[in-house]
Amino acid sequence: MIYADRKTRVIVQGATGNQGSFHIGRMNQYARSVGGQGVVAGVTPGKGGQESAGVPVYDSVLEAVHAHDVTASVMFVPGGAAADSIMEAADAGLDLVVAITEHIPVHDVMKACAYAKIRGCTVIGPNCPGLLSPGEISMGIMPSHLYSPGSVGVVSRSGTLTYEVVHELTRAGIGQSSVVGIGGDPVIGQTFADVLDQFSQDPATKAVVLLGELGGNLEEEGARMAELPVVVFIAGTSAPPEKRMGHAGAIVSGGEGDANSKIKRLKALGVPVASRLSEIPELIRKEL
Amino acid sequence: MKLLEFEAKEILKSAGIPVPKGIVMKAGDDMKAAAAQIGDRLVVKAQVDVGGRGKAGGILMADSGSVQATADGLLQSSIKGIPVYTVLIEEQISIEHEYYLSITIDRASGSPLILFTASGGVDIEEVATSTPDAIRKAVIHPLLTDVPGYTIRYLLNGAPKEIGPIINRLYNVFRSRDALLAEINPLVTTPDGVYAADAKLIVDDNALIRQGIHENRDLNERERCAEEFGFSFVELHGSIGVIGNGAGLTMATVDLITVLGGRPANFLDVGGGADRVRVAHAVRLLGSMPGVTVIIVNLLGGITRCDEVAAGIIDAGVAQQVIVRLAGTNEEEGRRMLNAHGYRMLDTMEEAVAAAVEESS
Repeated sequence: MIYADRKTRVIVQGATGNQGSFHIGRMNQYARSVGGQGVVAGVTPGKGGQESAGVPVYDSVLEAVHAHDVTASVMFVPGGAAADSIMEAADAGLDLVVAITEHIPVHDVMKACAYAKIRGCTVIGPNCPGLLSPGEISMGIMPSHLYSPGSVGVVSRSGTLTYEVVHELTRAGIGQSSVVGIGGDPVIGQTFADVLDQFSQDPATKAVVLLGELGGNLEEEGARMAELPVVVFIAGTSAPPEKRMGHAGAIVSGGEGDANSKIKRLKALGVPVASRLSEIPELIRKEL
Repeated sequence: MKLLEFEAKEILKSAGIPVPKGIVMKAGDDMKAAAAQIGDRLVVKAQVDVGGRGKAGGILMADSGSVQATADGLLQSSIKGIPVYTVLIEEQISIEHEYYLSITIDRASGSPLILFTASGGVDIEEVATSTPDAIRKAVIHPLLTDVPGYTIRYLLNGAPKEIGPIINRLYNVFRSRDALLAEINPLVTTPDGVYAADAKLIVDDNALIRQGIHENRDLNERERCAEEFGFSFVELHGSIGVIGNGAGLTMATVDLITVLGGRPANFLDVGGGADRVRVAHAVRLLGSMPGVTVIIVNLLGGITRCDEVAAGIIDAGVAQQVIVRLAGTNEEEGRRMLNAHGYRMLDTMEEAVAAAVEESS
C-alpha cells in the first residue's frame, strides 16, 4: 500500500458539514472493519468542542495535532477556503492532505500546492475521490464494497470511472494494492508520475492501471517514467475541442492534450492502451 | 470564460499596460462623432471570440469619412458564424515590430508559464512548429508576486527594455484576475512606445464569482440551463442522449457509444448526489433536445439510491426510450420500478450502451 496504512491517524477538515460528517462515519466504519486507526478528530473553525460522527472537533489543525498526534488529513472544506485549509494542514506539520473539494480556483491550488511542497507535505487532489488501500485504509469517498485486496495499483483522474474499473477488476478476481484518485483539476498535488513512483517502491504492487483523460500530458509523462508494467485507458476520445468535459482539467486547449493523440503517443511508448473499460482486466492479467 | 478584446484591454489599461486609444460601439451608435475623439486613421474590430478574426474579415481599416459605413457593415455581419454585436474602433498605430507575450498555467509544474518571442503577430502554434528556438519560456514559482529581473532579461533575449515592465504588469493581471491565459499578440513597439495591439484573457470558471462575473457567456442556452441544475453539459449533436455521474465515467460512456458505432447527442454529468429531482431534470433536458431518439442513464455509486433514480426517470416521463444501468443501493427495487414502467435496466455499462446504440439505429 502507498501513502497511508491502518496505523495512520487521520483528521477531517470541514468536519461538521453534511459531506464531512457523513464520510467520517464511512471512513471509520471501514477502519473498524480492518482494525485501523481511522479518523480520530475533525477541524472546523468556530465549531471547536462539538462532535461530528462521534469524533471531537477542533477550531484549528494545530489543536487537533496536539491532542491526537495525527499525520494526515482528508479535506472537505468548500472552494473559497480550501486552499487556506491545505496550507494550514501543511503548516501544522501534517505529512499528507487528501483534498476532496471540487471547484477551487486554480490560482489558489497553485499557491497551496507550492506552499505545501516547501513544508514537506504531500497533497493528493484537489477534486479527487481520495485513496483506498483494501484491508488497510480508506481516506476519502470511495465505495469500499467494490474493492478487494491484491497486487494491482490503480491511479486515476476521475472518481466514478475508477469505481467502474475497480468493480470490473474485483469481478474478474483481480485485487488492488492501492487505488489513488489524483483529481480532475489542471493543477494537482500528486501527478501520475508521483503516484507511479510510490507504486514502484511498494512491494505489494506488481502492475498499475492508469486511468487518464483528455487535457494536459501527465499520462504520457507518467507512463514514460513507470518502472512497473502499466495498462492505460484514456477517456474523452469523442470530446470536441475547446469544450470542458466536466472536469476543470478535461479540455483540449491550444490544440494540446486531445485524447486520440495522447493514445497514439502512449502506444508509441509501447504501453498497452485499452479501447474500452471491459478490456482492462485481461490486459492487466497479462502483466501480472 | 473568455473575455472579449475590449474587456481584456480595459483590464490591461487599468494595470498600466498601454493600449491604442479606442471606443466600443454598438449598432445605431454615431460612429463618426465617436471616432472624431480618436483620430483620422482608424481600425474597426469586430468583438467576437473567433481565431483568425482578421483573415475572416473582422478587422477593417477606415478613416473618419468611411468609419460609419465600415462599422455599420461589420455590425450587420457574422464572423465565422458568430454575429457581431459590438465593434472596437481604435486609432491606427505605427508598428515598428511585433512581439508575442503570454502567460498560461503549466500543468506539469503547477506554475505560471511565461512565453515571449520576437516573432509576434502570427499564430504562436505556427512559431512553435517552425522556429521553436525563437520562443523563450520561463516557469515562475507560484508564490512569487513579481517576475524576477533575471527572468525578464532571459525572456527578452535582447528585445527592447521597455517591454520588461509590461511582462511584470501582465503577470500581475494574470494573478489578480484569476486568468488561465493572459496573452498580448501582438505586443508592438511604435515611435511612441510599447502597446498591446490585441489582447486575450480567459478567466477561471471556478473564480468567476470572486471576479464579479455572474454569467458565463461561453455557455449556450441549454448549457446554461444545465449549469443551473449543477450539471456539466456539452452538446455533441448525435441521437443518443447520455446521462452519467462523474466526468470520467460519463466521458467513457460517450466514447463507448462512438466505439460501438452510435452517435452521442451530449455529455451530461449529473454530479454527486443523483437524487430523484436532479435525475428527472436531466432526463427532461435531454428529452427536449431535437434529434435525441434514445437516452442512456449510466450511474455508478456506492451510495446512489437506485429507487430514487428510478423514480426520477419515471417522473420525467419522456417520449424517448430510456435505457438504464444503475449500481448502488436498493438495486432490485429500482429495477422493479423501471420494468413496471416499460424502461430497460441492464447490468453492465457495455450492455446498456450496446442496447442504446441498437435502439438508435
